[in-house]
Amino acid sequence: MDGYGLRTSDVEIDSAGPITFGPDGILFLADNLAARILAVDLADPDRDADSAPFDLDDVDVRVGSLLGCDAADIDIRDIAVHSGSHNLYLSVQRGRGDAGRAVLVRVDTADATITDVPLTGVPMAQVDIADAPAPDDERLDVTLPLGDEGEELQVGARTVRILRRPIRTSTITDMSYADGELLVAGLSNEEFSSKLRRIPFPFPDASATDGVVGNNLEIFHVSHGKWETHAPIRTFVPYQDGRSILASYTCTPVVHIPLTDLRSGTKVVGRTVAELGAVNQPLDMVSFRQDGREHLLVANSAHGLVKISCQDIDAQKPLTQPHEPVGVPRQTEQVPGVIRLANLDAGHVLALQRTEDSRIHLRSLKTSSL
Amino acid sequence: MEATWSSSGDRDCIRLSGLPAGDIRVYPASALALGTAPPMAGQLVRDGTGLCFIPRFPFVAGTAYAVAVNGVRVADLVRPRPPDAASTGVLVIYPTARVVPRNLLRFYVWFTAPMSEGEAARRVRLVNDAGEELPDALLPMEYELWDPERRRLTVLMEPARIKRGLAAHRAVGYPLRTGTPFSLEVDAGFRDANGLPLLGTTARRYQVDADERHRIDPAAWTLSAPPADSDQPLHIAFDRPLDHGLLARCLSVTAADGRLVRGTAEIGPGERWWRFTPDLPWARAAYRLVVDPVLEDLAGNSVGHVFDRDLDRAGDRTGPNTPVTMPFRPARG
Repeated sequence: MDGYGLRTSDVEIDSAGPITFGPDGILFLADNLAARILAVDLADPDRDADSAPFDLDDVDVRVGSLLGCDAADIDIRDIAVHSGSHNLYLSVQRGRGDAGRAVLVRVDTADATITDVPLTGVPMAQVDIADAPAPDDERLDVTLPLGDEGEELQVGARTVRILRRPIRTSTITDMSYADGELLVAGLSNEEFSSKLRRIPFPFPDASATDGVVGNNLEIFHVSHGKWETHAPIRTFVPYQDGRSILASYTCTPVVHIPLTDLRSGTKVVGRTVAELGAVNQPLDMVSFRQDGREHLLVANSAHGLVKISCQDIDAQKPLTQPHEPVGVPRQTEQVPGVIRLANLDAGHVLALQRTEDSRIHLRSLKTSSL
Repeated sequence: MEATWSSSGDRDCIRLSGLPAGDIRVYPASALALGTAPPMAGQLVRDGTGLCFIPRFPFVAGTAYAVAVNGVRVADLVRPRPPDAASTGVLVIYPTARVVPRNLLRFYVWFTAPMSEGEAARRVRLVNDAGEELPDALLPMEYELWDPERRRLTVLMEPARIKRGLAAHRAVGYPLRTGTPFSLEVDAGFRDANGLPLLGTTARRYQVDADERHRIDPAAWTLSAPPADSDQPLHIAFDRPLDHGLLARCLSVTAADGRLVRGTAEIGPGERWWRFTPDLPWARAAYRLVVDPVLEDLAGNSVGHVFDRDLDRAGDRTGPNTPVTMPFRPARG
């Protein structure tokens, strides 16, 4: 793979994090423990195929079987689809303690076979996140967990389950590639820690750190009624060919953040365009086209799968008042329990779905019926 | 027909003997019911008289595995948990100061070997002299603060009870009481990285003094300059005990040209002093002690900030947020 500065080598991932595809089938993998991003050429050949759905029941049990553990020891942290082969890749944390491993898993969407992808002897490049929070940084990132992790908290009449983790674990919360740059959301070691980094790809040399553009983020948080600089973006998609992003935060503002003409080290103020509701964690986002128009799909922990028209987002004036109004119109889809999303092909969005009895399935959603 | 836990070379395996010929596969037993789950990744190797299944990913303690030949389940076995033979202990608990302020913020517990996560909430507690636990005194630790080797655990007091004005503080007050001693106790049941308990329960007892609510002022320290042309240590005596974890990285010595002086630092008992022995003898020149303003005392007051400041008290205003330097010149011998 000429042109991307990849070298054949071996690497181990310390912790499974967000994954996303870049150009020519190169997969980016984030490792928060190591505060590092890898770019790996997966050499997954393109396959001619008509647009077709892909569904697979009990994907966590199947992945656990391959990796030698029960489904309870499998945490699927992100999913990504290779646009040429239409194969699905899973970023998986398997087991705990000394038996813990971070594993990249491939699901072949032609025949549903599942294999692990060893990162040995593969063409790759890597970049370190220089301003990552230190491993012993005592600040905590608060999220709303899906399962029974964390602690219960009384908020007014409601009981809320929250999870507090050292902010190092949120160094990289989501990534996306657009127009020669890897966009990386997460936290930094600075006082106002919410950060959006833009890393040129091919990655700059380790010595040339000035290739990375980093901007601190400030947004108006409608349900909290205040300006926010600490909490990270949880999930985002590039927008307007990478000239901006649409991002979502816990408790749940959706924000338009412009990226053009930004100097590194400056602060960017986002335009809050929607408020999807408090006590809710946005889990994943994709954009898709329907009838020639772009739409956004947001998977939420409490408020379901929400569809928003990008046309409405463009027309929305910034929300800067507490609680009301809630911004752009939205529509809740009748698909419960979606925890991760990826674009499968022009006609389908692939969803990782957790059922009420905690089984985890892969389901294809037809974009024309969303 | 037999399947047993064994090892092949230095790798864990399932040793198989007396199996019928055919296609041998291993599964976590929980996946077998699916009928179409992939077999566990690994390889079958001939080892002595038998066959060994060596997994690509380590067996998980407590997990049930099944062996199938030609699709027929022929053997079951559960991966045992490691035997109880403790070898890990608590190395030291910081602070080592005997007396701490009522608004004490944190402890560090150093272990002699890497530890398991997920234990601290149950295994670390504050107790009074009667051995009774002080309830809700520590920050809940579902996600624990470890160094990368998992040998140093940072234990925080519940900040909601130390910060005046917060609901928990107003309702139940400080977790500690001036004049009433207490101990930090690390229970022997704390598991190390191999899942084994500790050699024993360890505790450190503290006397409780009044609150500490002042910024750290390096000008209040006593700096004893070493003789020139010697490699005797620079000695800094503090006006109060400081945070051990931060002391280890917040003090440094630079030469007149700004270059870092290489050497060995040592923190004194009770975190009351710090001394620095240079690798090369001191020159007859100007040096600086450089203090990172994030350095904190036991109550979380730093050079830059009072931890829980009074907004209307002038002395509590924000201090420097850039390094503070203290010049010194080695004395003529």
